[in-house]
Amino acid sequence: MEFWIIVTGALVATACGILGCFLVLRRMSLIGDAISHSVLPGIVIAFMMSGSRDSLAMLLGASVLGLVTVFLIQLFQQSGVQADASIGVVFTALFAVGVVLVSLNARQVDLDLDCVLFGEIAYVHWNTMSVFGIDGVPKAVWILGITLLAIFLVIGLFYKQFKLCAFDPAMALACGIPVALFHYLLMGLVSMTTVASFESVGAILVVGMLIVPAATAYLLTERLSIMILYSVLIGITCAVLGYYAAAWLDASIAGMMVTVAGLLFVVALIFSPSHGLLMRWVKRRRLVGVEA
Amino acid sequence: MQTKFSVKKAPLRRLIMMVVVLGAAIALSACGSNEAKKGTEGKLNIVATIGMIGDVAEQVGGDHVTVTSLMGPGVDPHLYKASQGDMKKLDGADIVFYNGLHLEGKMVDILEKMSSHKTTVAVSKTIPEAELLSDPVAPDSHDPHIWFNVQNWMKATEVIRDTLIEADSAHAEDYRKNAEAFLTQLKETDDYAREQIGQIPEEHRILVTAHDAFHYFGRAYNIQVMGLQGISTASEYGSKDVSDLRDYLVEHHIKAVFVESSVSTKAIEAVIEGAKKMGHTVEIGGELFSDAMGKAGTTEGTYIGMVRHNVDIIVKALK
Repeated sequence: MEFWIIVTGALVATACGILGCFLVLRRMSLIGDAISHSVLPGIVIAFMMSGSRDSLAMLLGASVLGLVTVFLIQLFQQSGVQADASIGVVFTALFAVGVVLVSLNARQVDLDLDCVLFGEIAYVHWNTMSVFGIDGVPKAVWILGITLLAIFLVIGLFYKQFKLCAFDPAMALACGIPVALFHYLLMGLVSMTTVASFESVGAILVVGMLIVPAATAYLLTERLSIMILYSVLIGITCAVLGYYAAAWLDASIAGMMVTVAGLLFVVALIFSPSHGLLMRWVKRRRLVGVEA
Repeated sequence: MQTKFSVKKAPLRRLIMMVVVLGAAIALSACGSNEAKKGTEGKLNIVATIGMIGDVAEQVGGDHVTVTSLMGPGVDPHLYKASQGDMKKLDGADIVFYNGLHLEGKMVDILEKMSSHKTTVAVSKTIPEAELLSDPVAPDSHDPHIWFNVQNWMKATEVIRDTLIEADSAHAEDYRKNAEAFLTQLKETDDYAREQIGQIPEEHRILVTAHDAFHYFGRAYNIQVMGLQGISTASEYGSKDVSDLRDYLVEHHIKAVFVESSVSTKAIEAVIEGAKKMGHTVEIGGELFSDAMGKAGTTEGTYIGMVRHNVDIIVKALK
C-alpha cells in the first residue's frame, strides 16, 4: 500500500524533476501552476458536451486545454512578451474564462477542479488497472510510467538540442536547430505530464515537484546533466521522506512531500558549496580579513 | 561552445541507473510493512465519510461496531483532503459508508473501485431518482445534500441496517432493533420539522443562506430556499448574485438570513450591508449546520440534534 504511494510519488518526482530543470533554465517554472488553473474551461466544456463528470471526459478536456495553454504561452513568448508575463496572461485569462463558463452553465453542479480532476495520492493503490494481464498495479503508476518513458525517449534522443535551446536559443538557431519546434515539444511534454499527474495525484505535488527539486539542483551544480540527476534524486528523496513524515504527523501525503522539498531547498540555499549563503559569508569574511 | 554547462557523455544512462537503484531500495523498504489491523475484539470496523453517516452507523451498530468519520466537525466535504491516517483508516475498514452523488468528489470514484475487495456502500443508493434534485442543465448531476430531508436519511438508515446485517448476521436482531428505535426518532424529527416550519407565516417562509445546500430541506418542509453560492462551496459567487439577493431581501421584507458552520460568512455579510444601504435591516438569524455537524459530545454533534437545531434557529428568526 505505502509501496505504491511512494512509487507513484517517485514517478511524479522523476518526470517533473527532469522537465523542471529545463523550465528553471528557461525561467518558466510556474508553468505547472499555470496549467493547474487554465484547464478549468476544458473541464467545463467537456462537462457541457458530455453532460457528466465522468473522469475520462474531464481528463480529455483538461488535456486539450493544457496543450492550448502551453501553445499560447510559447506563442506569446516568441512574439516578444516576457516569459513570466505570458504565463501570467494565459493562465489568468483562461481560468477566468472557466469561472465565467461555470457561472453561466453549471451553477447548480459541483464542478470544480478539486472535485472532478485533481486526484489524491493517498488513494492511488485502490485505483488499479489491469494491463497486459498484469494485475494489481495502480492506474496512476501505468499512466505516469508511460509518461516518464515518453520523457526519457524524447529528452534522451534530443538531449543536446534541448540543452542548447535552453541556454542559448540564438546559438541553437545559428546551428540550424529548429528552436521553436523544440520549445513546443518540451511544452507538449510538460503539458502531458502535468495533466496526467493532476489526474493521478493532485495539483500541489505536481506543481511543487516541477519547481522545487530543479531549483534546488540548480544551486548545487553548474552542469545540466548533473543538475537533472540531482533534481531527480532530490525529488525521489522528497517522495520517500515526505511519505514517512506524513505517516508520522498524520498529515496530507502530497503536502508533506512538497514541504520536505521546500526544506531541502533551504538546506541547499544555505550550505551549497558554490552558491550557498554560508560559503558566500565565509568568502566575504576572508576578503575582509585580507584587506584588514 | 562556452556555456555555463558543458556536454558530457551518457548522463541519461547514469540517471536511469540511479532511478532503478532507488526504486529497488524503496521496494525493499516497503515490503516489510504490515497489514492494517481489523477492528478490535471482533467488532466491525466502520468508516464513514461524513459525520451524519457516522452517527447513523453508530446508532444502528451499537456495541458491535466501532465507527470513524473521516470529515470531522466543521469540515467542508467539498474541500476535504485526505491525510495519511485517513488512508490507513479506509484501508483497515470492514465497511465504508459514503454519501455518494458526488458529495465526496473524486473520492466517490475511488470508493466505487474499492467495492471489488471491500464493502463500500453509498447510503444514497435507495433514494429513488424522482426524489433527487438535479440541475436542469445536467440531469445526471444531482444535488448531494440529501440529509436535509429526514425521510431521505431514514432510507439511508435502512441501507446501513441492511449492510450491517449482511456483514454480521450473528447480531442481526440487535441491528434490526437499534434501527427500529432510531427510525422512530427520525420520524419524530421529521414531524417536528414539518410542524415547526409550518408555524412560520407563509409570506415569511423564505430561507436565505450562503450556499445552496438546503433545497431538499425546502422541498420537504415547504419553505422557499435562496442561496448565494452554487451547490459547491468552491464555486465563486458573482457581484450580480450579491445584488440580486440584496434586491430580493429588500423586496420580500426578509427579516433574517443564515450563516453556515462550514462556509465563510463574508459573502452573506456583503448582502446584509447592501440591504442596509437600501434602508432594509436584515439580521443574521444564526448559524446553521449544513455540510458538517457540530462538535462531538454536543447536541448538534448528532444528526437529529443538528436537524432540530437548524429548525429551531430558522423558526425563531423568521416567525
